[in-house]
Amino acid sequence: MGIYLFDDRWNSYNFGLFGLMALQHRGQETAGLELFGSPRQRMAGEGLVDDVFRSISGKGSICIGAVSPYPPGEGEVQPIRLSEKVAAAIDGRITSVEGYSWDETSGYESNLRRAFARVGGPGLEDLKRFFGSCRGGYSYIAANDSREMIAGRGSIGVKPLVLGKMGFDGGIVASESCVMDIIGERVPISPAENIEPGETRVFTPMSAYSEQLQPSAGTAYCSFEYIYLARPDSYVNDIPVYRVRSNIGRKLAEESPADADVVIGVPETAIPFAMAFSNETGIPVEKGFELTGRRIRSAMKPNQLERLKGVQLKLNVISEAVRGKRVVLIDDSVVRGNTLANIVYLMKEKGAKEIHVRIGSPHIVSHCTFGVEVPPEDELIGKHLTEEKIAEVIGADTFRYLSLGALEEAVGMKGADLCTGCFSCKYPEV
Amino acid sequence: MAKILLVGGGGREHAIAEALCRSAKEPKLYCLSDLVNPGIKKLVRKTGGEYYQGDTNSGETVLGYARRAGVDFVFIGPEEPNFHGVPDRLEEGGIGVIGAKRKVAELEMSKASMRDLQWKYKIPGRLWYKKFKTFEEAVPYIEEYAESVALKPARQAGGKGVKVIEDFQVYLQEEKRKVKKEHAESIVREFMKGYDDIDYKLLIEERVWGPEYTVQCLTDGRTVVPMPAVQDNKHAFDGDLGLETGGMGSISCGRNLRWGIGDDEERAILTPAEYDRSAEIVKMMIDAIQKETGERYHGIVAGQMMLTSVWGPTVIEMYSRLGDPEAGNVMPILKTDLVDICEAIIGERLNTIKVEFEERATVVKAVCPEGYPNRRDLAKGHPVSVSVAAAAAGAAGPDGEAGSIFWASADEIGGSVLSGGSRVIECLGIADSIPEASARAERLTQGVTLTDGWKLFHRKDIGSEKSLSRRIRLANMARDIYQYRERKGLLGKRMIWVPGKGLEEVG
Repeated sequence: MGIYLFDDRWNSYNFGLFGLMALQHRGQETAGLELFGSPRQRMAGEGLVDDVFRSISGKGSICIGAVSPYPPGEGEVQPIRLSEKVAAAIDGRITSVEGYSWDETSGYESNLRRAFARVGGPGLEDLKRFFGSCRGGYSYIAANDSREMIAGRGSIGVKPLVLGKMGFDGGIVASESCVMDIIGERVPISPAENIEPGETRVFTPMSAYSEQLQPSAGTAYCSFEYIYLARPDSYVNDIPVYRVRSNIGRKLAEESPADADVVIGVPETAIPFAMAFSNETGIPVEKGFELTGRRIRSAMKPNQLERLKGVQLKLNVISEAVRGKRVVLIDDSVVRGNTLANIVYLMKEKGAKEIHVRIGSPHIVSHCTFGVEVPPEDELIGKHLTEEKIAEVIGADTFRYLSLGALEEAVGMKGADLCTGCFSCKYPEV
Repeated sequence: MAKILLVGGGGREHAIAEALCRSAKEPKLYCLSDLVNPGIKKLVRKTGGEYYQGDTNSGETVLGYARRAGVDFVFIGPEEPNFHGVPDRLEEGGIGVIGAKRKVAELEMSKASMRDLQWKYKIPGRLWYKKFKTFEEAVPYIEEYAESVALKPARQAGGKGVKVIEDFQVYLQEEKRKVKKEHAESIVREFMKGYDDIDYKLLIEERVWGPEYTVQCLTDGRTVVPMPAVQDNKHAFDGDLGLETGGMGSISCGRNLRWGIGDDEERAILTPAEYDRSAEIVKMMIDAIQKETGERYHGIVAGQMMLTSVWGPTVIEMYSRLGDPEAGNVMPILKTDLVDICEAIIGERLNTIKVEFEERATVVKAVCPEGYPNRRDLAKGHPVSVSVAAAAAGAAGPDGEAGSIFWASADEIGGSVLSGGSRVIECLGIADSIPEASARAERLTQGVTLTDGWKLFHRKDIGSEKSLSRRIRLANMARDIYQYRERKGLLGKRMIWVPGKGLEEVG
């Protein structure tokens, strides 16, 4: 997320803070903000946005910030410093830089810094040259201490990025349009403008313009954004995420119907799937779980204990909703399958008669090249077991994935325009 | 042979000058302005007139030059001479003038009196407002009540100083109130500095949303003739981003901002009924100001309007002259002889003339040196070059038709032309649809350069299909809501339940 306000009477700090909160679902391990005031200030740490920024304050009319799903041990806390004068927030993964040979023995960020040092100084043209030579599946926002900011997407547009406005005062760029609803100007027609693959948006004290830094050689939009990563109130690539999730629910009902009494979605992500499944089949949808404590995305937690803790606290089964009933239980995706097994167990314990699990995505078979947190392939249940076997393992009566074709139809894009590498092992060339 | 003195030297005046020179009466054109506009100068030379440099706000100066040239009438381009009573002085001196006299120009000069008048006469499309004489007076109001508002200098200050702040999210309120206060203070202390012709300094109005448009009208005080509606683009940068400017370019097609001439009447930003209603509102404003002052309005009046969810057509501001760049949309497609029109206005017989415009789409794009609008010092003084051949060739569409350019903030000194710090050139494209006209204007911008290498910028998106469809969608949203309110009998009404106090109704 980046905020650029032309008039330096504005302090972007609170905008940055609430903007990051709007993106909290994209990463809950670290949060950071760099404010380009005088002096420049960096505030970053481990935990949720609320925790990191509690009782601190800052000042500056320009800021960039990020939340990350990686714990501090797995990389530097974003925004990262590309050089002394330049900070950047990067979503996804830069996999190579033209003309730079990647040093596998040192970390991701050190490689980026070394590659950046090769282009020269911290100026606007240097920033353009650097990001113009990056390859991979990423979006970026970078700013220097001369009040220049650029924000764009890699040539195949894996990671989303949108532009919003704040009246005559400036612009906001963020991974998702929900940020504009929360901190931007309320524009009745659409909350934000999509930034295209290979496009960059430049902000300087005297200008703001769009530039195509890299020719766009076809797109490969991350399909996982629609399934899980993005908020349902966001637009990704101009497509409302909620619409895709409803479509997925309908497709599941078509492809894998079940004779059942009730439909229940696993909160929060799978709720729209369940509602659409219910609308399509006429089987009533019920609230199946109640949450204890803070709302967190358990699937993003870096270790098994934390994930299970998350699931158990988040998902206390409401017995009245399931007792004696045949349940269609809908979740967005299955990675290792053990949290799902836990949910099925809890639900049976509360008296569910049958459980038919439906998953709003195809089987995950591959580690993401572009930084979506997917564990090593030997941990992926869908890579190794059939649907029938998985049903037995997790204790469900039936278990079905969404087909890849149905996913593409739900998004409304042809397979070639979407990156579905985690389901097919086929990643786009960059 | 008619002789005319044109006052003012911007892009608007260049467009007026071209329309005057198209007259069958083959007038001799004289011009008075502070900088020498190369485009107007060429027309002056061609028609055998003279170019004067001097103070356009001084009635004596203007009258002096008008007499020296022996002109039949004077056409005043910008607003400031009106505010300074130049038309009054000319009329006293027995010279006919197209320009609002001091008292009726109050419609534009004092944004506070304009609202007073609108509420007094219950003219539709009126917004809530509060006026303040000092900053201190405004502070408690801003701290306690002001939410989403437009902060404006109470006097027209060259279109500068307006800030619209949407203050809806309470978690960002502290920041926004701070900026509102600081801006209110700078309006009083900076933007209004040097204007001692008005009591009120600051105006705070409710913030509304919807597509904006300008309905410019010719009037002799009795008849009001509306011109095709024009939509200006105030943000400095592409995609409606960034700083407020005097206008980065404008679009027009038919009277109600249609997509294209051949297109469905409904594929437009305004409905014909909304256009008519807007023109009616402008007429009501003219009637009101004439009644209030006892003075006749001769010249041009424009409603800077917005189609809002509260009212439908709503007055944002009034102009006592043609808009800039909006003049560049309407003047080139005026079919009727402008000299005839001016004479009819002066003789108060505008009703005897049928004023007609060609049914075409027009798009104007302003080209500006970097630095505009906030650092005009940096934007000023760069040598400008327009490659006529390239521009003409670039603008020629498949049917071989070209657009044209208007010189704006530029000064011809010796053989060369220097940028004046504001929009330097306005490029006009004419075609059958707005997107085509936009593409033509876009090609024309390519012919403009600064020979010292300083950067120019303009907006590529004005009139593009994407931008136009967004505007149409925005209009549809505002329309759905205001028409619903209209059916319910709630147009313009606002009700608030104040806990403990009861129902408050305004409208």
